[in-house]
Amino acid sequence: MATVQATSRGSLKAKRATPRIAPDRLVDITVQAGVIVVLCLAWEFGARVGAINPFLLPSLSDVLARIWADAMSGTVFVDLGLTLYRTLAGFLIAAALGIPIGVLMARSATVRWFFDPLISVGFPMPKIAFLPIFILWFDIYDTSKIIMVTFSCFFPIVAATYAGTTGQDKWPIWSARALGAREHEILWEVRLPLALPQILTGLQVALPVGMITTIVTEMLMGGRGVGGSMIMAGRFADSVGVFAGIVEIVFLGFAVVRSLEMLRARLLVWHPEARK
Amino acid sequence: MPRAGTGTGGINMLLDISRGALRYSPIAILLIVWELLGATGLISRQMLPGLGEIFGELVAAVVSGDLLYNCARSLMRAGSGLLCAVVVGIVAGLLMASFRPLRLLINPIVQIFYPMPKSALIPVVMIWLGLGDASKILLIFLGCLLPVVVGTYNGARGINPFMIWSARSLGASKLEVIHEIVLPGAMPEILNGVRTALAFSFILMVSSEFLIATDGVGYMISSLGDGGIYPAMFAVIFFVAGIGFLADRIYAAFARRQLAWREA
Amino acid sequence: MTTVAMAADARHEAADRARTGIHIDNVTHSYGARASGRGVVALNRICLDIADGEFHALLGPSGCGKSTLLYLIGGFLPIQEGAIVTTNGPVTQPGPDRAIVFQNFALFPWKTVKQNVLYGLRKQGLKGEDAEERARDYINLVHLSGFEDAYPSQLSGGMQQRAAIARTLAVDPKTLLMDEPFGALDAQTRRVMQEELRAIWGRSRKTVVFVTHDVQEAVFLADRISIMSSRPGRIEHVIDVSLPRDRGEDTLEDREFIHLSEQIWRLVREQAVAATRGR
Repeated sequence: MATVQATSRGSLKAKRATPRIAPDRLVDITVQAGVIVVLCLAWEFGARVGAINPFLLPSLSDVLARIWADAMSGTVFVDLGLTLYRTLAGFLIAAALGIPIGVLMARSATVRWFFDPLISVGFPMPKIAFLPIFILWFDIYDTSKIIMVTFSCFFPIVAATYAGTTGQDKWPIWSARALGAREHEILWEVRLPLALPQILTGLQVALPVGMITTIVTEMLMGGRGVGGSMIMAGRFADSVGVFAGIVEIVFLGFAVVRSLEMLRARLLVWHPEARK
Repeated sequence: MPRAGTGTGGINMLLDISRGALRYSPIAILLIVWELLGATGLISRQMLPGLGEIFGELVAAVVSGDLLYNCARSLMRAGSGLLCAVVVGIVAGLLMASFRPLRLLINPIVQIFYPMPKSALIPVVMIWLGLGDASKILLIFLGCLLPVVVGTYNGARGINPFMIWSARSLGASKLEVIHEIVLPGAMPEILNGVRTALAFSFILMVSSEFLIATDGVGYMISSLGDGGIYPAMFAVIFFVAGIGFLADRIYAAFARRQLAWREA
Repeated sequence: MTTVAMAADARHEAADRARTGIHIDNVTHSYGARASGRGVVALNRICLDIADGEFHALLGPSGCGKSTLLYLIGGFLPIQEGAIVTTNGPVTQPGPDRAIVFQNFALFPWKTVKQNVLYGLRKQGLKGEDAEERARDYINLVHLSGFEDAYPSQLSGGMQQRAAIARTLAVDPKTLLMDEPFGALDAQTRRVMQEELRAIWGRSRKTVVFVTHDVQEAVFLADRISIMSSRPGRIEHVIDVSLPRDRGEDTLEDREFIHLSEQIWRLVREQAVAATRGR
């Protein structure tokens, strides 16, 4: 069946760890931090010296000055807050719908019969193409943006949850039964924890997709947010504004994705992947 | 799967068809609900055009050549961006996995830009390259690059080191090992990364055409929507969704063939 | 039988160590940050001469560095201290004169059995019908005819290991390095493979360095056994196996075999107990 492509396969490691001289992590970190500093300097002085056309790439200091000014007036926080709100709202609704449906698909033949074809057809479609339909139905305000984000995030979450809750190892479940657990206890205490790595992978796939979608909806429908401000700046040929938006969105994306990674590390301390 | 003889072929085909019909009946149910909502007037025809009308518009758009032309334009952009991303991404990923200095050089850039939502680059490429094809191809290239790099890198790093040692002891040079062992060994993850990139290429193609284009399917959808010609807009949207679905199916079949060795 | 005479010859030739065989001279190896002194010493001042045509087993508890020593001979790990010299000169990098068979086979899963065997032959510059014929010969030798076009994933563990052995033997290495090659196999398959390996070795007169932690396997296969201790890895005893060159099922009931196995088991047990206490 083509429904579900599990993204996380257990990585096939060699039986024995490679005997290799452990790289000095401190050197690694220093060099990589150095690369970032050099890139920032090259950006700053490349623009200043005139090696780069300042319209195509305004200098880092100009961009940071713009962000500072916008932070003073508060617009940065409004934009970042709105973008974050739309992303997370859509994402969380998708998770609240997608995880139970994925679990039910694995547990009930009827639910599976109904959702399996919808997921297998919907999963690979470019959902963003449906955006004008949502605009038509729900107008251009937050409702339609959040629904669009939910729609985009829903499929990877359901698919991953379903993949994680079907085909589970039977030994832990039989062990729990032998120890006297009832079915609903097994669901919460065995099946969901076993599926958690895959569910989290699904969420980790969905969240960036949700952000991409949020940015596009903001660019297309306006209503502020980082995407809205960036497309406005672009239309007015305000390249400093565009790059200020890029810097903001790099930070936001990094923070959001890293938070989810940290959540994963916390929730999966028991998992072999935590030992690295 | 056992091939049925000619005698039972007809029956088996009927069985296959009815099994397929049962499998996809939920989609039919949704379409019927769609029709009923419109027919009973619960939702206005403006919001939810009849399926017959949408199909008629689809046929008309195909026959006039309009849809196919715009589709070809879009796919040309997505295809060239994706192709460049695949080539550059695989090379970069392999180099990163094989040479520590390059890893230290490229890794921080990947770490910073990987989580960035790539659609934010739309105004950037607009400033850099204007409204023509080049800006959209660059956008799709940049958006598809990192999934390929990261997939290739993880695949190459995850290879059983004893496989590399075996090749070395059979007389392969270090460069030969990269091409003959690391590349095929990383192929499962490379193909996964390219699949993600394929999905991104469609997302970025459509959204960039919504915003900065004068042709392509995305432009068609948004201009039909702006003009209030909703049945035609629905037709093009479903067409684009279908193309995206098909592209993924074709790619999945291709990937399965590449990985035939994995199936016992 | 002439093979017995050849075995005697091989041992006499061992006297002529300056030219042939493998010479391990004062090799020390540590893992981890050596400079900061936090590293683990895996091998400490190892000296060992392995004669041309000898079947030598490295025996010891896990963690004693026997695989590390093998990887050093193979040229997979850089030699930090000391030297290893073979007939082809000092070891600096891997080469087809010292081909290796690993415990987890390390077959290329995207190549069929034949393509795996051909890979090494192509690297030796052998092309076309010559290469095909030689691949066929070695696939026959390990009793895999009929499975030439199977992918590794379609074979059992024993068959995969036979394919890996064929791939390694096909390049006709002077020295055959084996890293617990039968460790992942079930007991029955293992026994059959041991007999086959011994028979193949009897015909090919290669030098074999065989890493194992199975005492009976070592005694059954080897001419000489190095018993290693752990932390830091050292060679504690080198024992001559005075069994007939032709070994088969009856060997297992041979009084000498049983006696030697018990004696060596006691020596290995000492090391294992010491290693466990040491932790």
